[in-house]
Amino acid sequence: MKKRFLTIIVAVLFLGLASLSAQAGEIDILLNKLVEKGILTAGEAQQIGTETKEQIKADIAKGTDSSLPSWVQTIKLKGDFRARYQLDHTAKSHADQNRGRVRLRLGMEAKANDKLNVGIGLATGKDDATAIDKDTARSTNQTLGNGFSKHPITLDYAYAQYTPLSWSTITVGKFKNVLWEPGDLIWDTDINPEGGALQLSGKFNSNLDWFINSGVLILDENSGDGDDPTMYVTQGGTNFKFNDKVSLKSAVSFYTTSGVKNRALDGTVGTNSKDSLGNLLNEYDTITPALELTIVDPFKALNVGFLDIPQISLFGEYVTNPRIKDGKNANGYMGGVKFGAAKIANKGDWQAQYNYGLLQKDAVLDILPDSDRMGGKTDMFAHEAIFQYGLGKNTYLALDYYQGRVLHGTQSARQIAHVVQVDWNVKF
Amino acid sequence: MKGFNKVVLLALVILGLTIPSYADKIVVEGSTTVLPIAQKAAETFMDKNSGADISVRGGGSGVGIASLIDGNCDIADSSRPIKDTELDKAVTNGRSLKANVVAMDGIVVIVNPANKVNALTKKQIRDIFTGAISNWNQLDGPDDKIVVISRDSSSGTFEAWGTLVLEGSKVRADALLQASNQAVATTVASTPGAIGYVGLGYVTSSVKAVDVDGVKASKETVLTNKYPIGRPLFMYTNGTPQGLAKEFIDFILSPDGQKLVDEEGFVPLK
Repeated sequence: MKKRFLTIIVAVLFLGLASLSAQAGEIDILLNKLVEKGILTAGEAQQIGTETKEQIKADIAKGTDSSLPSWVQTIKLKGDFRARYQLDHTAKSHADQNRGRVRLRLGMEAKANDKLNVGIGLATGKDDATAIDKDTARSTNQTLGNGFSKHPITLDYAYAQYTPLSWSTITVGKFKNVLWEPGDLIWDTDINPEGGALQLSGKFNSNLDWFINSGVLILDENSGDGDDPTMYVTQGGTNFKFNDKVSLKSAVSFYTTSGVKNRALDGTVGTNSKDSLGNLLNEYDTITPALELTIVDPFKALNVGFLDIPQISLFGEYVTNPRIKDGKNANGYMGGVKFGAAKIANKGDWQAQYNYGLLQKDAVLDILPDSDRMGGKTDMFAHEAIFQYGLGKNTYLALDYYQGRVLHGTQSARQIAHVVQVDWNVKF
Repeated sequence: MKGFNKVVLLALVILGLTIPSYADKIVVEGSTTVLPIAQKAAETFMDKNSGADISVRGGGSGVGIASLIDGNCDIADSSRPIKDTELDKAVTNGRSLKANVVAMDGIVVIVNPANKVNALTKKQIRDIFTGAISNWNQLDGPDDKIVVISRDSSSGTFEAWGTLVLEGSKVRADALLQASNQAVATTVASTPGAIGYVGLGYVTSSVKAVDVDGVKASKETVLTNKYPIGRPLFMYTNGTPQGLAKEFIDFILSPDGQKLVDEEGFVPLK
């Protein structure tokens, strides 16, 4: 009885101490002293110490820990830095372009209450001051040079996110893309769309998850015009686990635009069908089925050393624009394989990927595709090979190679283009 | 009024039928490392309490914690502390997860008794298991090839070894994989150049336990965090455990429950 009483007292004292200092090391030192004096057993000390530390973590997550200012408990910072060497080479062109580029991104997420978050992201890159600039939305690179001049930091995203129920999220502002895509054929991963989005997700059973993502995305704003270019998107999908090793994620996305026809959009690279004034000839209603099959330890049973690959994924997607009545130049597709670690988190982790993508002229709006793949154009095809290797915790090297060409144009325009990117990435 | 009384009576009957059936059934889900403890304890507990229904399943620590956050289980078994992202999700879902430590996991490095090597550093062990060191003479031992014995990748001990010792690196491709602690111990006992790892409860005189970073593996050194290859094992609940979940965790922490922990090769808290 005496020991039990002492245990409770010690636990209360430690909880108080933890609240004041949150120093886990001090808790351990004091617990060890109490064990040495025979007040607690080693097991009781382990139990109290570990459970106390876990409780402090839980209190901080809830924002109820009294030892830390509330802003510390409700704000999270993250970011990454990338240094890149990039070579752009076109056959018959004797003017290779060599560039040193950096990317810095700094993100913050603040919790207003249990249901409401605000996210803010700053990044290198260009702002939207120039009306037509293909890189403003699709790149956070800053090319080095220009006499050591200072470079701008831009607003990469800013959103409020409301989670009224565990299976639903509403996001408003400029936010990370809510649509799932196995590759970057349609959406450059640097694009942070603007407008509003609703995400729903849940489980049919323990092996089958479902999700629905939808949004109203503002493409452009024209003063004095009630029919601003807008995109409406809806995506429905499932993630089915056949067993612990094999899963299949699939989705179908529907896009429709309004107010795009007869306008030139900011960020266009000029490869969609347009009239003599440069205005688009079509609206863009696209349907996109996509899937990704993932197999964990695919060759484990063979017990061959060099085939000991943690994971392999096969992925593909197709896109078609039924608004193009003759059906010509309205399709696109991508197929690929990636193998190695699911993500590069530690030293020695590696991942290799190959994909092939083709986009016809009017398959999608040309303000969306990956800007590294043929400059973000439609009316092109490209092969891409990527290799990433973990140098240590939160740092890795990446080698990315593109080879492709445009589908139509003069013989000179249809020369094979090569892009080589060597990246050093650091996350924090 | 009579109609109202009938409705109240019916409601009370339904309530009366519902409360015991809810209170007497819980689902325990999560870590494959904690699974043997949970299974053995559930069997023993249900033998002693005929009305109790405890369903135990594995899936991994992350699966168990996600299930607890989603309200699909009552106790989440976990061989690691909860992650910040999981805590955030729990808060969003209105859950307040409470950690209950039920045992410790201590993994002991063992070699053949004929081996003269008595102590290794954690880095040396990592180099052995990843292939950077392949002969005992690189460790002041005999000129014998090192035979690495590991658990297969489906075991919780393998997962713990990967985290605590290998720090994410892969076990060398020619390691002999065994399906149980006992199989590892037996193979090491019969193979002169072998090295392997087992739970503390599986160390016998047929193998030699190696000190790690100068610390001998024992219940005391694991419990006091002095031994470097140890970790707490958790059963997370939504808030302070109540009802059958509380009774079940109390049973595991009781002398009888901790005896089961010991028998399963883990380190009891008491």
